[in-house]
Amino acid sequence: MPGFAIEGYVIVSVVLFALGIAGVLVRRSPLVMLMAIELMWGAAALLFLAFARQFALMDGHVFSFLILVVGAAEAAIGLGLIVLLFRAREAVDVDEVRELRG
Amino acid sequence: MEYNWLLILIPGLPLLGAALIAAGAQGRWNRSFLAALGCTAVFLAFVATVLVRLQYNAAAPFGSVHMPLWSWGVDGVGLGLLGDSISTWFALVVTGVGFLIHLYSAAYMADDPSYPRFFAKLNFFIFAMSVLVLADGFVGMLIGWANVGVASYLLIGFWHARPAAAAAAKKAYWVNTVGEIGLILGAIVMLQHFGSLYFADVLPQAWFAPQNVLNAVALLLLAGAVAKSAQLPLHVWLPDAMQGPTPVSALIHAATMVTAGVYLVVRAYPIFEAAPWGLPAVALVGIGSVLFGALAALGQNDIKRVLAFSTMSQVGYMMLGAGVGAYSAALFHFATHAFFKALLFLGAGVVIHRFGGEQDIRKMGGLGKSHPFAYWTFLIGTLALVGLPPLAGFYSKDAIVVGALMAGRPWLWALAVVGAGLTAFYMMRLFALVFTGDSPEVAAFQRGEGARQAAAAAEAGVGRSRPVPPLKMVPLVVLTLLSIVGGFFAMPDLSGVPGAAEGARLAAPPAHEAAVAGRVLTESSAATLTIALLLAVSVIGGGLALQRFGPKRAPQTAESGFVKAAGAGFYFDDFYRAVFVRPLRATAGFVGDVTEPHVIDGAVNGVARLAATLSGAVRRVQSGYVRRYALALMAGVAVVLIYFVLMV
Repeated sequence: MPGFAIEGYVIVSVVLFALGIAGVLVRRSPLVMLMAIELMWGAAALLFLAFARQFALMDGHVFSFLILVVGAAEAAIGLGLIVLLFRAREAVDVDEVRELRG
Repeated sequence: MEYNWLLILIPGLPLLGAALIAAGAQGRWNRSFLAALGCTAVFLAFVATVLVRLQYNAAAPFGSVHMPLWSWGVDGVGLGLLGDSISTWFALVVTGVGFLIHLYSAAYMADDPSYPRFFAKLNFFIFAMSVLVLADGFVGMLIGWANVGVASYLLIGFWHARPAAAAAAKKAYWVNTVGEIGLILGAIVMLQHFGSLYFADVLPQAWFAPQNVLNAVALLLLAGAVAKSAQLPLHVWLPDAMQGPTPVSALIHAATMVTAGVYLVVRAYPIFEAAPWGLPAVALVGIGSVLFGALAALGQNDIKRVLAFSTMSQVGYMMLGAGVGAYSAALFHFATHAFFKALLFLGAGVVIHRFGGEQDIRKMGGLGKSHPFAYWTFLIGTLALVGLPPLAGFYSKDAIVVGALMAGRPWLWALAVVGAGLTAFYMMRLFALVFTGDSPEVAAFQRGEGARQAAAAAEAGVGRSRPVPPLKMVPLVVLTLLSIVGGFFAMPDLSGVPGAAEGARLAAPPAHEAAVAGRVLTESSAATLTIALLLAVSVIGGGLALQRFGPKRAPQTAESGFVKAAGAGFYFDDFYRAVFVRPLRATAGFVGDVTEPHVIDGAVNGVARLAATLSGAVRRVQSGYVRRYALALMAGVAVVLIYFVLMV
């Protein structure tokens, strides 16, 4: 399949991933951090699909499904934790939750 | 060897009795019923012993009764019961005298709140002692040996609330542990060399074993015997053991357990005879204990301590007999000594109760007039111990002394004769102080302190002529009869015991033959000379004592240095305290106060502090900020990426 340009997909994926990292590192709301993580999942999945297309292999498709499933599971647990956190205290700031510090 | 299941009843019934009594005491059963249970168990064990002995007699001279019980799956290591000449002889005395003392205890201990506990322990002792003497190998013997030690500990410390009794119990246990270590080491050497611990395997082979092995085994076994039989130099626990109740002193620390060492030497006699150092060492220990015990008894003022040192001295005679090869005489003296010494201790119990718990013979006197029963029984016991014909002690002790002469040991013989004179002296001193002269109340009255003291004494119930209860009287009468006629019993012989046949074939030592066959008394002029000498020194010793301590005794004067030293047991206790106890205490103190807090705890705490210090630096990384962790993660990934990009 001549003419398929991988570069665009890679650039979009890198940008998405960087946005996800920035979101996790900068934002203090657990909900937003979760969303940023989802963004990184998406970047990875996109890259898998792009390379699968280039090499004409099915492996990448399989992995993107896996990412969707794991991402969903992670979101379920993460959201559950966040709900519990809200119930336990008023604060929604992850910097306030540091009982496990050494 | 014939099989007989009755053998298991001899240790089994007293063990069952002990368990039942202990359970019954928990269930608050009737006290008299529990006491009767204890007596019945021992009586039935005695009946079983008689039946086994009868079967043995039918199978004699070369038969024996055997019952294997258990094997550990290792060749030569197992447990079984053996009824032969020596073991049934011992078992008869253990269960027989044991039963009489159980009966006596039923009356003597009647006022004690822990009455059932006493019988449980006493039954347990009979069990352990039966295992000791009936075992068919050194394994079973060791089991019994350790258990009589436990029983002795429990019974010496019966009144455990008394500090002195608790200390005496511990002392007895520790000293016996020294001996037990010797015994166990001896057993290990035997297992190594003979590949078995059964008497039937080891003893016949002993005649052919290398001399250094035999010497080692003999001396190690002798260490065990010396500790258990309170012989020089491990005798120190016996006088203190008198802290136990008087029936315990009679049963364990006079009649049976302390003779376990004699049993061991006679049982293992092929080893002792074949080892060059074996018999001389035994004889040396024996004669040393004869003289030491007799001299120390001279200075004692506690009625039970006099008898304790006397026991040491008499067991010394048994050891001497075994050490000169007069095994039959040693066994014979064991039995007669069990009769008259148990009688003396039980009589001492009557005396102590009469004086309201007082045990100092200097504060006694005049019991002859008020208590004729105690007077006559104690007198017969004393004369039997002194060895006046035709009482039991005459035959057995003279057989030993004659045996020493016939074995060609004139020095041992001479010292044994001297010991007999000392025996007569200290026993007559004891008898005269307790039974003759004025009673303490009369003496106090004569000194003019009369009315008040007599009133106090009357209030305490002291000196009232109470009839001796029949339960106490029956054992005393039986033992008195046995002390009179015990000398007419047939001497036990060693035919049919493991190792005897091989020894007879190999090298029957001519000097021992006569003693072994029990024919010494009538055979030679040596015997006549010995008997005459023994009688003479006994009469002289007894007469001197009567003159000095009898009714016309001089008022108490200050004790001479010798008497003081004898009273202190010639400072053996102080010696051991200085040489062993103090350094041990100091070491223990050092370990407790320095090693433990500083070295051990120091190491443990040091490791903990080191870990805390090291982790103090690292743990700040764990800030608890989840975003910081995320940053660290990202940074790590970035570093790995850069590495791969640049390097690969």
